Amino acid sequence: MSDPIIRVEDLCFEYNPGTPQAVTALDGIHLEIGSGEYVAIVGHNGSGKSTLARHLNALLLPTRGNVWVNGWNTRDPAHRRAIRSTVGMVFQNPDNQIVATIVEEDVAFGPENLALPHPEIVRRVDWSLEQVEMQPYRHRAPHLLSGGQKQRVCIAGVLAMRPQVLVLDESTAMLDPRGRQEVQRVARRLNREEGTTVVAITHFMEEAVHADRVVVMEAGRIVLQGTPREVFGQVDRLRALHLDVPPITRLAQALHSRDPRFPAQVLTLQEFLDAFRAWRNGRPLCMPPWSPSGPLSAGEPCIRMEGVGHRYMKGTPLEVQAIHDVELELREGEVLGLIGHTGSGKSTIIQHMNALLRPDRGTVTVFGQDVAGPETDVRAIRRRVGLVFQQPETQLFERFVGDDVAFGPRNLGLSRSEVRERVRQAMEWVGLGFEAFKDRMTFGLSGGEKRRVALAGVLALQPQVLVLDEPTAGLDPRGRRRFLDLLRELHGRDMTLVLVSHNMEELAEMCHRLYVIAGGTTALEGRPGEVFGQGARLQGMGLDVPPVTQAFDRLVGMGLVQGLAGTVYRVEDAVRLLEEAVHAEL
Amino acid sequence: MQNFELLRNVTIGQYIPTGSPVHRLDPRAKILAAIFLILAVSFNRSIVANALFLAVVLAITGLSQIPLRYMLRGFVLGLPVLVLIFATQFLFLGRVDPPGYVFAEWGWLRVTQYQLQLMAISAFRITSFIFLTSLVTMTATTTELTHGVESLLAPLRRFGVPSHELALILMITLRFVPVLAEEMERIMKAQASRGAEFGTRRFWRPDRAARAYLPLVVPLFLNAFQRAEELVLAMEARCYVSGGTRTKFVQLRGRWVDVAVVMAALAFMGFMVLFPWPPVSDWLRAAGIMR
Repeated sequence: MSDPIIRVEDLCFEYNPGTPQAVTALDGIHLEIGSGEYVAIVGHNGSGKSTLARHLNALLLPTRGNVWVNGWNTRDPAHRRAIRSTVGMVFQNPDNQIVATIVEEDVAFGPENLALPHPEIVRRVDWSLEQVEMQPYRHRAPHLLSGGQKQRVCIAGVLAMRPQVLVLDESTAMLDPRGRQEVQRVARRLNREEGTTVVAITHFMEEAVHADRVVVMEAGRIVLQGTPREVFGQVDRLRALHLDVPPITRLAQALHSRDPRFPAQVLTLQEFLDAFRAWRNGRPLCMPPWSPSGPLSAGEPCIRMEGVGHRYMKGTPLEVQAIHDVELELREGEVLGLIGHTGSGKSTIIQHMNALLRPDRGTVTVFGQDVAGPETDVRAIRRRVGLVFQQPETQLFERFVGDDVAFGPRNLGLSRSEVRERVRQAMEWVGLGFEAFKDRMTFGLSGGEKRRVALAGVLALQPQVLVLDEPTAGLDPRGRRRFLDLLRELHGRDMTLVLVSHNMEELAEMCHRLYVIAGGTTALEGRPGEVFGQGARLQGMGLDVPPVTQAFDRLVGMGLVQGLAGTVYRVEDAVRLLEEAVHAEL
Repeated sequence: MQNFELLRNVTIGQYIPTGSPVHRLDPRAKILAAIFLILAVSFNRSIVANALFLAVVLAITGLSQIPLRYMLRGFVLGLPVLVLIFATQFLFLGRVDPPGYVFAEWGWLRVTQYQLQLMAISAFRITSFIFLTSLVTMTATTTELTHGVESLLAPLRRFGVPSHELALILMITLRFVPVLAEEMERIMKAQASRGAEFGTRRFWRPDRAARAYLPLVVPLFLNAFQRAEELVLAMEARCYVSGGTRTKFVQLRGRWVDVAVVMAALAFMGFMVLFPWPPVSDWLRAAGIMR
């Protein structure tokens, strides 16, 4: 490691120090970040990683200990401007970082604050926009860009200050896979070609794989650090910390546990394939018999969309065709998944399911009723089909948890005791005890708890179908797993579920049947195995198949695996198959 | 409520790019010229002058190549105000003395020369106002106008007018209008999914109607505050210091045309105020309409 550009010495930080609400967020952090290094900091929400990031450019000052940037102490106000232009910071939500109404003017905001001469600002704006490949959009208004594009504008805004260090504080958390790739590509290229030091804070383990060093935080301390290989090699340790291990690494470890000749520390698909080839030495591995998916639901169709089309901003020059020719059927008792990119039309489709939108073309039938029919009671439909929006916790408005959950039942005009009963049940379903939580302050809860309250608010209507838009977006791995378990329990209570996501692995784990939404219409339908079996078509739509599916496809293609029945898409299945195959051989 | 589409895609100010010479003017020149012209028409009480003025405004509209129907759309929006002003003037100005020539009289109501003159002037004046402001917003983007205002206020900095901060506030407001509109739409849909109804409460219980909007307003405000906090952090991280010295990326460069336009507007104002406009009553008398 070359000279450290950032040195953190025994850093402690308390929020609200000296008051009864004092919380220790950081507790004795020692960290050195070398010039040109790519460091990933991972950990749960509340582990202190964002607090640490904010110390790196003097947005927060230590309660105890010191942070040095380029030899300047962040406590010294005389160096604040120098520190902040040395360490550029990009935050989570791109919308809340853009100041100006035109892209290039926003990029110029930093250099303007540094009071640079005009020609220099122009030069830097040009250069930064080029770095993030946003030149063609320089005269656009930010609200007309995609999430990934907006985040690239934010990066350009930081680059225009010519920082030596780029801190990405969960900058990919709110983006879809395409946007996430865009941002990562830019960060990696800056690191390699421009020598920019990158500190990436994330809870996506796949992003940490490419770092030079991974730092794991828990409860305000650094609990583990090393190269990605060293860190992800410690599966048990990571599991104890409730963190994910990249799926490919899990496959490698499954093989390693049965046959120690297979290396345990494998990070990427290519490494896995190479290791596999070397390990088999020309002998293919025979797969045991296996049936890919459980029975399909034989339930009655409860929602049916036939030839549905919808336009927004009708009759204006801004009119857009959001969806067209959508053919979809939801059967009672199933878990249905809708996959697609942001902007593919999936949100528009689900808003037809509870009559928030009416089709311009085609028909939507919900429990036998045409939603556009003149006699249709829209509220009755909304009662039977509950819709949970993205980040539903932002819709909470009552001071007390119980009141917020009661909003729906009260709108139904139920009696006091009935409302109470429904609130109790909904809260128990989402794992928030009624007595313990009903009088808690809504806005004092953690992010995960708030999301449960919002879900309870919809469940209190006792819907038969529950539609969830990106249910786990923004949750950390532990929160994500818990929330998915909760949904499984609801399905066990005879709830029909529709999950909308761009997270392939999640849908692969949860769903009986999938629709792929691309270009505003239903492009593919089938069981997960059937859909993921068409890797080439999915890639044509800009979607990836789950990593384990990719791995098995490649192994079959290379002739290293034989006798595989069907498409493998769950990590658990893949691990079991490999273990059984090796076991049978021995 | 059937329709949840809000102004997510609507831009304030309705900029219509035609690339005309009016569009290419410096925003400062547009703002100053508009101010002078509005002053000119505000201080003039002659029908002839007001009619001439409207003709001039229409001529500028023609020069800007903006289709007249867009201008009329703004006019239709202003129509209720115009009707209201007409009604009040018709009711009350008839009693103002001296009335001049009295055309008709029904009890308390009178139709007088003075009243009709004022009504005609207001009609011209308000139409001119609407056309003129529409012209400014249709030929300049909100961003250009923001820079124009900032630049015009800059000389007042030494007297403590925070010109840059005002412009920045304006800019951030414009930036977040579509963001919050989208947020509002999402919250409305989410609460409607929980059985909420908006706009169906009885109007004689405004307290209940207001309560019905709490599920929208509270989340929207919380959201806006959270965004504001994050924005402050992001701005600080980019070295923003309120009141600090800064330079500007956008440099407005006035050309001689811009100066000429402002001078012309100023001269026209002088002409409007100082010229001895002939009273219409002489012509009406000559035509035998008025005795």
